[in-house]
Amino acid sequence: MKNFDTLLKDLAPRKFNKLGVIWTVLLILVIILGILAYIDQLIKGRIVTSMRDYALWGIYISNFVFFVATSFVGTVLVAILRITSKEWRTPLVRIAEVISLACIIMAGITIMIDMARPDRLLNLFIHARLQSPITWDVIIIPTYIVLTFLLLFFPLLPDLAILKKYYYKSKPKLSKWYATFSLNWTGSKAQKAIQEKSIKTVAYLIVPVGFILQTVDAWLFSTTYRVGWSSTNMGAYFISGAFVSGVGVLIAVVYVLRKTYKLEDYITDLHFDKMGRLLVLACLIYLYFNINEYLIPAFTADKEEEAHLNVLFFGKYAPLFWFVIVGGLIIPTIVAIFKKGRKPLPMFIIAILVVLGSWWKRYIIVTPTLLHPYLPIQGVPESWREYFPSIHEWLITAATLAMALLIMTVLFRYLPIIPIQRTADENELLKTDKNTES
Amino acid sequence: MKQLNIRNIFLVLLSVFILNIGSMSVFAQKGKKNKARINVEYVKIMDGEIYFNIKSSARIKKKTVPVSNIELTIYNEIDDDEVELGKAKTNGKGESRFTLKNINAIKADTSNTYNILVSFSGNDSFKKAKKSISFKDANIKAKIITKDSVNYVTAILTNAETKDPIEDQSLTVNVQRLFRPLRIGEEFNDTDEDGAIIVPVEEGIPGVDGNLTFEIVLDDSDDFGTVIAMISGSVGIPITDESTFDQRTMWSPRNKTPVFLLIFPNLIIFGIWGFIVYLVLNLFKLSKSKN
Repeated sequence: MKNFDTLLKDLAPRKFNKLGVIWTVLLILVIILGILAYIDQLIKGRIVTSMRDYALWGIYISNFVFFVATSFVGTVLVAILRITSKEWRTPLVRIAEVISLACIIMAGITIMIDMARPDRLLNLFIHARLQSPITWDVIIIPTYIVLTFLLLFFPLLPDLAILKKYYYKSKPKLSKWYATFSLNWTGSKAQKAIQEKSIKTVAYLIVPVGFILQTVDAWLFSTTYRVGWSSTNMGAYFISGAFVSGVGVLIAVVYVLRKTYKLEDYITDLHFDKMGRLLVLACLIYLYFNINEYLIPAFTADKEEEAHLNVLFFGKYAPLFWFVIVGGLIIPTIVAIFKKGRKPLPMFIIAILVVLGSWWKRYIIVTPTLLHPYLPIQGVPESWREYFPSIHEWLITAATLAMALLIMTVLFRYLPIIPIQRTADENELLKTDKNTES
Repeated sequence: MKQLNIRNIFLVLLSVFILNIGSMSVFAQKGKKNKARINVEYVKIMDGEIYFNIKSSARIKKKTVPVSNIELTIYNEIDDDEVELGKAKTNGKGESRFTLKNINAIKADTSNTYNILVSFSGNDSFKKAKKSISFKDANIKAKIITKDSVNYVTAILTNAETKDPIEDQSLTVNVQRLFRPLRIGEEFNDTDEDGAIIVPVEEGIPGVDGNLTFEIVLDDSDDFGTVIAMISGSVGIPITDESTFDQRTMWSPRNKTPVFLLIFPNLIIFGIWGFIVYLVLNLFKLSKSKN
């Protein structure tokens, strides 16, 4: 068993190594390119995108749905495991919380990018109609951002106080920052009582709010009378999809952090095994909803559904569709069913597959439906019948993904990736501060 | 040498440019003006407006195009005199409407004929043009009658001055619908020696509360122009107005949001934000309770 000093040394934030610097610079470069493309989009309007009258939602909305889905990991993993007191969650919770926060912030930003006229954002509040799912989205996203931040922040307080002391002599400036954000945390009984109560409240609260967020996101589609969207299955379908995407991203990020910061003693094979089991469960549930989503329309097959499904199963979108189903769901499920498949490296590989599958899944939810309206496409240029993102859209989307990764990178640079206090408590290293919540 | 060449080329290009402008202005001065055509229609709505629909067009490059934004002067010709009634300007479609206060605003000649002249004095692009129309004032009196359980629209066309019935004129009878009128009866209903027509109303025409509005039209007659009479009656199949305009619906504006949608989402929103406020207050409490 490690003593507290070693633990602190292992888990305290560390400077970037060379690879970390290159990674951060790369992310910043991608973001700068995206910002330039976005400025051009602001000046010229959305004409620079490939979106037109029919494909009026494109890659931005697919990306937005992906971010919203991935942010669900904060609800499923952190809150549910916390409520059910699963001890193995400890080294994973903060990573999940950071992913959630980064993704939901970027979801909010992405929707503004899609608006093309961000100066009209206020109109969404001034002229909000409660009948519109867009209004529900506008309300629920800021709510979820605040709750995700609180879910990250409350358990962080003891660690910030520890870091304040740890850097007091070596890095006094940094220590001051930690002191400010630790809110005078001393670990007193009164503070612990408030903290425990707050963590429980936010953990219980974020579960329904997370479900509402995913459901509202689904209802944006299902309340629109379009082939492939107008389905009562959508809410559950989106929640299960978010479960898959969230766990997939979590596994990938956990693997990278474990390797980079050499956290093998804290994030063990057991954690990958548990996450692998979670992933199998998530994939199976999502597969079930996919069968519901595609099989019944294919079975009843009215003309419009048939045309839409043909494009997905055998047509232009077939390679993507089957990659998503087979590569993003079936193969990861089969691999993770076996114990050997739940080892870190295979888990990382299938997590990458799952994440790619999850991203493209949102693309094939959004685009093919828009290109199959009930009324025939007439009197428009031939190119409007198709949609493939323009270079501006790719650059901006890449920048949003890079921004999410940059937020994570910066937070992991300055916050302990694994809760220090909680880990110490579990290992009974700090006898005076037993059972601190984190 | 190179500099000289560039200078020469520049001078040549400049002279060509200037000459070109000169030739263009010469061309503009000598350019042939197009001929504008004016079309005038007299319309009288019984117990309503009296107006002239004026349309101006031109034949340019074998295509008929509207002549927009030109000023037209409308005169009343009485024997040899011309009395200016007013001016009108054509819109983007080359159309214009000149409305009279009533028929007494114009005077007829000795033969009870009204003569109207629409004149365009010409501009840089179009030659001057004019168009005269003549018409007599006619009236249509319509009513709805029921004979042997069948409803009919009857109408009598008379000369407004002499009160004599007008024979052998074609009238059409329409029932007003949402997008355009629906014709009932024959395509043409010629007036008899009493100036009358009678058209049966088909059964089963729906109307709000059973009310139907019929329009009896003498369409663009050479002698009388266009005369329209309207009459309403409860001879249709009653339908209730299904408009939800005043109701609180999912598709109404936000001031008419359904009550349940105001109550439940707001309960959820304020409930959640209540907890958030509590959590933020806890952060303040934490910072103040060191011991």
